[in-house]
Amino acid sequence: MRYWVKGRFTKGAILGLVVGEAFSVVFILFGSSTYLSFSNRVGLSTGLSEVALSILLALFLVGLIQSGFNGSGLPVSSSDVDYVFTSPVPPREVFAAKVLLNSLTTVLFGFPPILVLYLRFSAYYHTPWPAALLAGLVTLIFLVIGLLLSADITLSLGHGLGERKKLWRNIFIVLVMVLSLLPITLLIPGIPSGIGEVARVLPNGLAAAVSVGLVSGTTGGLAYLADVSLLFAWLGGVLILGVRMSRQHFYDLLEVSVPGGEKFDKPNQVSRLDPRGKSIWSIVRLKEKILISRTREARAQFISAVFLSGFMIIYALSGSFSSSPTSFLFILFIIGSFGSGTASRWIEKERLWILKSSPVSMRRYVKEVYRARGAPLLLYLVPVIVAVGVPLVLGELSQPSLLLGVILALPGALEIASITMAGGMFFASKYGQSSTDDILSSQQQELADIRRFLFQTIINLVMVSPVILLVFVSETLVTILGSGYLPILAIGLVTVSIAFTVLSINFLLNKAGDAVSKREDL
Amino acid sequence: MALDNVSLKIASGEVFGLLGPNGAGKSTILKIMVGILRPTTGTIRLGEHDIVTDPEKAKKLIGYLPENPSLYTGLTTLEFLQFVGKIRGVADDLLDQKISDSLKSFGLEEKRNSLVGSLSKGMKQKVALIATSLHSPSVLVLDEPLTALDPKTRVSVKDWIGNQTKRGVTTILSTHDLDVAQTHAGRIAIIDHGKIVAVGDVESLRRLANTASDARLEDVFLRLTEEKGEEPARH
Repeated sequence: MRYWVKGRFTKGAILGLVVGEAFSVVFILFGSSTYLSFSNRVGLSTGLSEVALSILLALFLVGLIQSGFNGSGLPVSSSDVDYVFTSPVPPREVFAAKVLLNSLTTVLFGFPPILVLYLRFSAYYHTPWPAALLAGLVTLIFLVIGLLLSADITLSLGHGLGERKKLWRNIFIVLVMVLSLLPITLLIPGIPSGIGEVARVLPNGLAAAVSVGLVSGTTGGLAYLADVSLLFAWLGGVLILGVRMSRQHFYDLLEVSVPGGEKFDKPNQVSRLDPRGKSIWSIVRLKEKILISRTREARAQFISAVFLSGFMIIYALSGSFSSSPTSFLFILFIIGSFGSGTASRWIEKERLWILKSSPVSMRRYVKEVYRARGAPLLLYLVPVIVAVGVPLVLGELSQPSLLLGVILALPGALEIASITMAGGMFFASKYGQSSTDDILSSQQQELADIRRFLFQTIINLVMVSPVILLVFVSETLVTILGSGYLPILAIGLVTVSIAFTVLSINFLLNKAGDAVSKREDL
Repeated sequence: MALDNVSLKIASGEVFGLLGPNGAGKSTILKIMVGILRPTTGTIRLGEHDIVTDPEKAKKLIGYLPENPSLYTGLTTLEFLQFVGKIRGVADDLLDQKISDSLKSFGLEEKRNSLVGSLSKGMKQKVALIATSLHSPSVLVLDEPLTALDPKTRVSVKDWIGNQTKRGVTTILSTHDLDVAQTHAGRIAIIDHGKIVAVGDVESLRRLANTASDARLEDVFLRLTEEKGEEPARH
């Protein structure tokens, strides 16, 4: 771990940390308003809502779980394969070290703003500052549970499992998906109380209960001790699961992004790329679709779509959509950022020496890859948005000021997903590791990943903020101009929003193409 | 600075070798030639096309094989070659025939529906060579085409290079294999620390190095890279 960490703390990394912390403070401001929105929804008018915090933490867990399904839960480089896995180091130690390394980054980035948040709450309840510190540590334990779960999910997606173990693996995946979305259903009015009881014992529920108990000074009692014990039991459980899975065939279980490192169940396939009568660009898209279908990306894409759709439906049913469409879009941005992995990982699958020595426009090539990778997700979301949107619009017909926000937020969801994916592709083009890493050493790539994560999230947020702001000011616009202008405003603002989205995507993808053209690695 | 005042003129149909120790700048020269790297000064012209200002036309003339080429492991051999042929502008009615002929000549017909990821290193190198020449380029740029290959595959690749040169394809070849350079290359440039140390055919290189007329190219190479002159000698 010492050597893995060594390369990270350069001036660039420290600058990145400072920028990251500044970003986190801004994020906390957005997060706290979302938290308050949830608090109002679950019926508590004063003080902290344990359930609201549980839902907020659940959203983080969804993001980490998506990362796991994208294969990022346990990143392994070719250098690890060549030097670490060929050394007499037990795989369980490698597993633990990798998760600890990710935890280190999470702690460095996550702890200060979390601590600030709890100190604020602690000040409100007049509890001593050590209570806030402990509450922050409890939340960090929850984040480590999330990282371990993400690593376990990535480990479970390996090709080396037997048929019986694959059945357990599939059950595990379904369970994780259901349990991760379950807490968010608490937003829906009239939800059966049993669901609340189940959500209460999940990691996010326990972390929220223990943290809120600490800052509000209501700790103590057997129930509280049981919550703490259960939280540590979750930690132990996901850790043991990961260690158990990594005990044998560690290398076989992981998809390593090096030439020949991927394992395919069937080496012989039916060739599907028939170029006759097709344009170059349709062949490029077809090539992407074939690659996606033959690797784990199709599954990751499907799971992203399920998470996004599930969240949209639950949020619409909860009634929070109409009162706070900006919170909806912001949360969608967060979930979408984690789920844009399919688009972001395009460079890992690409073979730049072929493209760069061919007479093709890189800008056009990147756009065609975007179409191939982004279109399935967007097409999947369109019917969900229609299904969710129609009742919402009909429900707000008597409230013009809210109706405009809903009308803008519905296509806004697709727009944010589209821009986030394009942003992910740009940053992958600039910082992502391509097929060989003899230019970028493993440590430099780690640094590039940190920079990329920070810049990508910040720039993506900047790019989507006009869409969110448009929704935010819609109510004010209707109030100022009058409900008679609603149709004109709706058509005009939706048009502006779509035009902005198209221009943003075009801009980002052009930048991506230029970044690839300038790269000197292959 | 990776390269220092490198200037070369390679005639049409010539086989030109680049020799030099590791890190000398051979790959950098080749990458600049094919438009992957931009030169800080100077021009690179393929025929009448400048690779920097007119890249798409220039790249139509080039077939490039990098050192350790990585392929799309998720595509079958056939799909990979179809994809590369298409983006390099091979006509539909010619592509299938070219692929079939090439797979046959390299003994890879049985592997046409195998995923590239399941092929051995030698087979992948052959597939990469086929991809390099599908569009019948007039200039082949090959970076260490024989590195880390088994003896049987090396023979196949050497034969392929020989056939290309017989067809009059201009070939620029970077290699550590002095035997290949001596056998196939008409002229050789020796590069050291980013500079061209000497250029010429084997005979003239021997004279420059002040070695015997039957000296091995290895000895010539070692002598010339030990002596770092101001101006490269050209023949």
